[in-house]
Amino acid sequence: MDSFIATGLIGISLGSQYTLLALGFTLIFGILGVVNFAHGGFYVMGGYVAYYCNVILGLPYPVAVMLAMLSMAALGWLFESLILERVIEDHQATLMVTMGFYLVMATAILMIFGAESPQFPFPVTGVWRLGGIYFPYANMIVLGACLAAIVFVYWLVYRTNIGRGMRAMSEDLPVASALGMRTKALFPFAFALATGLAGGTGALVTPILALAPHVGDSVLAFSFLTVILGGLGSVTGATCAAFIVGLIEAYAAVYLGGSKGALTLFALVLIILVVRPQGLLGREVRRS
Amino acid sequence: MSSHDLKPLPAETRSSLLSGHDWIALVFVAMTFLIPVFSTNPQVLSQTNLILIAATAALGVYIMQRLDLMSFAVPSFMAIGGYTVALISMKLHVTDVLILAAAAFLMPALCAIPLGSLILRLKGVYFVLVTFVLTEIVQLLLFEAGPITGGANGLVGMPAVKLFGFELWDNPHVLLTTCGLAVLSFAITSLFTRTFRHEFAAIETNDVLAESLGLAAWKYKAMAFSIAAGVSGLAGFALVNMLMTAHPSSFAPMSSVNYITYTIVGGKASILGTLIGALLLVSATDYFALSGEMSPGLFGLLIIIVTLVARGGVVGVVSGLLYRLVGKTTPLNTGETGHAAQEHANQKEGRP
Repeated sequence: MDSFIATGLIGISLGSQYTLLALGFTLIFGILGVVNFAHGGFYVMGGYVAYYCNVILGLPYPVAVMLAMLSMAALGWLFESLILERVIEDHQATLMVTMGFYLVMATAILMIFGAESPQFPFPVTGVWRLGGIYFPYANMIVLGACLAAIVFVYWLVYRTNIGRGMRAMSEDLPVASALGMRTKALFPFAFALATGLAGGTGALVTPILALAPHVGDSVLAFSFLTVILGGLGSVTGATCAAFIVGLIEAYAAVYLGGSKGALTLFALVLIILVVRPQGLLGREVRRS
Repeated sequence: MSSHDLKPLPAETRSSLLSGHDWIALVFVAMTFLIPVFSTNPQVLSQTNLILIAATAALGVYIMQRLDLMSFAVPSFMAIGGYTVALISMKLHVTDVLILAAAAFLMPALCAIPLGSLILRLKGVYFVLVTFVLTEIVQLLLFEAGPITGGANGLVGMPAVKLFGFELWDNPHVLLTTCGLAVLSFAITSLFTRTFRHEFAAIETNDVLAESLGLAAWKYKAMAFSIAAGVSGLAGFALVNMLMTAHPSSFAPMSSVNYITYTIVGGKASILGTLIGALLLVSATDYFALSGEMSPGLFGLLIIIVTLVARGGVVGVVSGLLYRLVGKTTPLNTGETGHAAQEHANQKEGRP
């Protein structure tokens, strides 16, 4: 029973990480109609920026995380404004440029930091213990940070004018534009918010999981899974789905072992897609 | 579209079996049969092999693009075709290339029928994502089904294939096998997409409207998905035959990005674009490989530049330029779809 609870806590921790990734991914799709294949790249690069700031420059870890988040947001803003904006009407072209940009990012990381995984330990060690339940402090801190970020995103999206503007554009872009929403400003902002979240997640999570130039591939696959399950464009759906994915992954890893957990998850998502194509809380989709 | 907008179509698009682009692509692919005659350089043979396999695999993307569906499932069907061939030749000791080619085409095509009945109901981005998930599942299954697939070790030591008892084992003969499979794939794809061009154009433009006008869109989607799977299976056969090994890493999910890139960069509206895209990008990868670690980044940069600068792909841009040079107003970068749609409109208005 203790192991069951401990696994559940790990699952919730994983779920909160996936939520941050999925929120960014789903925001980009909901508002811009873009499937961002570079999302995993921003995650990895965020991890490397945090590593550079924390381990090489010696800055405190929280500062490194903030810098990773801000730098990825800035990179996302530039990418959206300079490249993505030019092809935003052509969904296949957006797919192509984001895929291309992911390759550029992965190569840049490889060139700068090399192929080997750097040593990037989480600054806090130790395990919280209650009876037979063990939960690492690192996971606890990451869980807290992720939950705080999720609350911030919800506040931004549902309680601010910028968020209302983004949701209006997500609902009906032509009408929102006719009512004065400035796509030139809100598109890059939404993209920067999403990439900042991805970078921040990378900075928080890679010290616990792994930091290597190509870990973005699996991150992309899990982001896909989460947003498919939750329903593309749905913020609440992505949040619910991320926790479901996190819990299934944690329990499957412990009780099924090997890659059977991932296989179960993929098969489940495939079935859900077939039965309910719009996902748990999704709605009619854009064309791609 | 008013009748004033309709331009006379090139003769070959009105009545011939294949379009001009189809013929050019087929002739180019068939000409690779001559390469072993003029060169025994292993580098040349290997590079030609890679280009033909890439072009054949990208045909799976091209076929689905006729229906405005972007498929990431190519590596899955390549894996089914490749592993089928490996299993038949290693376990059943059947090495006849014609039987193996039939198996490599039919097995993925048959698998695609039940699968297609489930996932072809999806549209747009959900179709993109579900095909991506499918490649992940197939990849995991290849690792998990160790007793059949060899798991992480794959199936190593495939025997050389034979044609009428003649063993095709050395590099030139391996290339000839790949050439044969590529010609077959291009011929199947050209005939298939040409035969149903009106239906595909209607579905691509507006599938709901096409269905409401009595077109059984699901039937054409299922056929296209199945043929695309079969052609991908042939590419899988060519790949495992070249490597003499069927290994999960040969069918990595992210490799689907390459096949999509070949199609889009070359020009998705024409089968010639698939061939040119594969030719340019596989050569570019080889060239970039000289830059070592920078290779994927340069490849990514090339993808971005071509997407930004040449939206119709290489074939679309070149065709557009040629049309401007000869003073015609209709750009050719609408490719087959544009011709088919125009022809469809002509037919509706009673024009030949």
